[in-house]
Amino acid sequence: LSRRLVGQPLRRREDDCILRGRTRYLDDIDPPGAAHVAFVRSPFAHARIAGVMVPERLEDVFAVITAADLEGRVTDLPVQGFEGGEVSAEGHPVLAGDEVRYAGQPVAAVLAASRAAAEDAAELVEIDYHPLEPVLDARASDVTMSRWHRVSGDVDGAFRSAAHVVRASHALPRLAPVPMEPRGAIASYDGVEDMLTVWVSAQDSHRQLAGLSQVLDRPEDSIHVIVPDVGGAFGSKGAPAPETMLVAAAAMTTGRTVKWAEDREENFIASYQGRGMEADIDLALDDTGTMLALRARIWADLGGYLMPTTAIPPHTTAMLMCGVYDIPAADVEVEGRRTNKVPTGPYRGAGRPEAAYFLECTVDAAARELGIDPLDLRRRNLIRQFPYETALGWTYDSGDYARCLDLAEELVEPLRRTDEARVVGTGFGMYVERAGGLFETADAELLPDGRVLVRSGSSPHGQGHDTTFAQLAADRLGVGLEEVELRFGDSKEVPRGVGTFASRSVAMGGSAVVQAVEALKSKCAAVAAELLEAREDELEWREGGRLATGDGRSLGLREVAGAERGIRASSRFSSDLVFSSGAYGAVVEIERATGRLRVLRLAAIDDAGTIINPLLAEGQVVGGTAQGLGQCLVEEAVYDEEGNPTFASFLGYSLLTAAEMPPVITAFVESPSPLNPLGAKGIGEGGAIGTPAAVANAVADALGGVRVDPPFTDAKLWRALREAGP
Amino acid sequence: VKPARFDYRAPTSVEEALPLLGLDSAVLAGGQSLVPLLNLRLARPGTVVDVNGIVELDYIRADEGGLRIGALTRQVTLERSELVRRRCPLLAKAVRFVGHPQIRSRGPVGGSVAHADPAAELPAALVALGARFHLRSPAGARALSVSEFLLGPLYTAREPGELLVEVEVPEQPQGGGSGFAEHARTHGDFATAGAAAVIAPGSAGITLLGAGPVPVRATAAERALCDGAEPSEAAALAAQDVEDEHRRALCGELARRAIEEAMR
Repeated sequence: LSRRLVGQPLRRREDDCILRGRTRYLDDIDPPGAAHVAFVRSPFAHARIAGVMVPERLEDVFAVITAADLEGRVTDLPVQGFEGGEVSAEGHPVLAGDEVRYAGQPVAAVLAASRAAAEDAAELVEIDYHPLEPVLDARASDVTMSRWHRVSGDVDGAFRSAAHVVRASHALPRLAPVPMEPRGAIASYDGVEDMLTVWVSAQDSHRQLAGLSQVLDRPEDSIHVIVPDVGGAFGSKGAPAPETMLVAAAAMTTGRTVKWAEDREENFIASYQGRGMEADIDLALDDTGTMLALRARIWADLGGYLMPTTAIPPHTTAMLMCGVYDIPAADVEVEGRRTNKVPTGPYRGAGRPEAAYFLECTVDAAARELGIDPLDLRRRNLIRQFPYETALGWTYDSGDYARCLDLAEELVEPLRRTDEARVVGTGFGMYVERAGGLFETADAELLPDGRVLVRSGSSPHGQGHDTTFAQLAADRLGVGLEEVELRFGDSKEVPRGVGTFASRSVAMGGSAVVQAVEALKSKCAAVAAELLEAREDELEWREGGRLATGDGRSLGLREVAGAERGIRASSRFSSDLVFSSGAYGAVVEIERATGRLRVLRLAAIDDAGTIINPLLAEGQVVGGTAQGLGQCLVEEAVYDEEGNPTFASFLGYSLLTAAEMPPVITAFVESPSPLNPLGAKGIGEGGAIGTPAAVANAVADALGGVRVDPPFTDAKLWRALREAGP
Repeated sequence: VKPARFDYRAPTSVEEALPLLGLDSAVLAGGQSLVPLLNLRLARPGTVVDVNGIVELDYIRADEGGLRIGALTRQVTLERSELVRRRCPLLAKAVRFVGHPQIRSRGPVGGSVAHADPAAELPAALVALGARFHLRSPAGARALSVSEFLLGPLYTAREPGELLVEVEVPEQPQGGGSGFAEHARTHGDFATAGAAAVIAPGSAGITLLGAGPVPVRATAAERALCDGAEPSEAAALAAQDVEDEHRRALCGELARRAIEEAMR
């Protein structure tokens, strides 16, 4: 069979439904008689709770739930560890007991006939807070909640013999993920069947199911998780939320259907955030610019508790600190510290933008110090042989880093200029991205009409699975896209899998889909062989989904389905991590009078292995780039000196608009991964990873080497320009 | 974000509206500021008086050489009005910086003025134009100058029982020009700073926004311009009292752009 659909820039077939408003998001589900939840959230960053006074009977209010009511019914949220590291058991409580650790933490929940009535009653819940001193600086915190340290090679020796040691310190502030659709959950409990059903706006059903099972101490088969259409997540709907647990527990205790559809203010203050890391980096080089060793100490501002995946991004940052370079020795330590802020967690990039930013800024600083062109310094040190095991312990599967960098240079058209009104500079940032890993599942079924239904363990929240997975399946079957139907997100329907994060859907979910389809084809061939009175191995699978014998007799899938009902095959595909990579170039201009930064153009070169749908892949790159630029220009979740969030609305937290987007020139290098049948890697996060490093280096170039960290506000750049001089 | 309970009234005339206004009521016009305040429960009026049905307040009229603008005139009407472009181009320029088209199609001129956000464009332009504000109450009517009307951030001289009914823009000197410049984090966002200028031979009106609790009239710069100063000199004077160094530079630059545009 030929590749007719894979590689085609097909438009997303799910968009027609989305654009016509025919999708069904969590808040579109309106169960009659549901109890609506409003949370009473801590106004203090840190306080002891001396007492909670719940008002007596209130109009339209069904229940007010506090931590005391949940005693023995729920546990704290589970905490996920990682290889070779230590993680403390400070899981997020469903409701705060005797202490609150961040402003916005849920303390009580009010269930009422409407959200408005619930908010009215929530104001009447009196909580006796005794405020405590908040800790807001990760470096100053004396509580370490996660730690990882690795020394590999003769680091001390390398630093002793180095001709140059370049030191850098950088910080990336916390960011709010801001999906268009906020979080939410609906739960109902059937006491007769002992079945708990939870609809939740999430990246997948699996992690919600596992979290509910653990926190409520119920077997997984007594919980049914349904993920409806999801309006974006960017990582923030991966790990289950404490609010979801409360909704489920409340449905079980009250017997009512319970609904929580969070508002924008809650989403800003209570949804886990991204980034929030700082680092000191030392790079040792010989006199020719060859990198000898790297030392890095990283601090992560984890917030008040560990969400299930809070400890993962800092570990990823640490593991990727050697980036795309052949650095033989490394000593990297990361400490995740407790602070009085909302927890952090994976947000598009999830540790990789931090690593790329810390390292690539250091590389540019080294180039400046050694008087070598930054591109030459990179080229001297790029990894060129694969597989390559880094000093920090991961094995890069494939790549062509030099080609990515060449393309970035060529496409961005570097520019450097200074005049009375403005300064213009060019910078580059490279990245390597862990993607995929673990396993994923799929199930393919031949429908009575000859079409094929594929149920995938991977599930979409904006990526376009319905189109890309159909392209993969249809090519293997030799049929049109419309002959393949996809289903996702219902734990009773799809096979138990891992989920959508870590840019893993195509590499893992897509590979599982083609494996399931191949297994289905074998079963169909067996049936066809019998009908055609032929041997299976003499049947040929032809275009149109027909099975043909050498002498020209053939059968279609509909006839196979007619002969045997319910032919079905499933697969579980697992592999090691795959490593996407890329090189980004940016040309920026800073206005002297105001300090305003304009990104004039951006070249985004990504190597995500084999590209299934170049249109959707480019969409992912451009979207990620917009978020990366947002981080550069305006985004920052600022807490005041008392730990109050100043970003509880779009007044305090700005996002870019289309008007701020520069021309983005994209190109793909395709170094197939040897680890899956598609040769695929991940493309979902590259834009968010490569952009900040490239823009930061372009800004430093324009400023003559003066370094500031994002966001590059007018005031910061205006001051830096004065520091840089004329 | 659901508002606390309130009573809702929707009068269709000024006469009908006036008795409903008071300490415990809020006027709902475009809702671009009030509705978020209600939803965040930062505003908790007992009664919301929806004036959108008072069609008599939706007009732009020529008045001798000046303009009379009904308080309920939508910003988009101002933006598209040939009369405004001819008689008072500064307003047509300034209004384009108000939010996004969706916001301008809902937000009325009177709402922007009565809300008195120090970062708002229309109050700054009206200060430069020397506008007057007409208020009505059951007790009668009065007119206030901009400096009498705008008292502080989100704070005006409007009494609880009063309704802003009209903005009066006086005739501008012949042979002049106008300019408006603004700096915001992103397109359509609230202004970090801005400047409005109306300049004619022998007269100048220059206002900064984002430089104080209310739009700041730059009188020293106005005098200097009338005395023949260069735009950059006048701009530096306009910004000289702004406290923060970067903001001072920003206001100076925006004043220069507005003045140069006005003198072009």
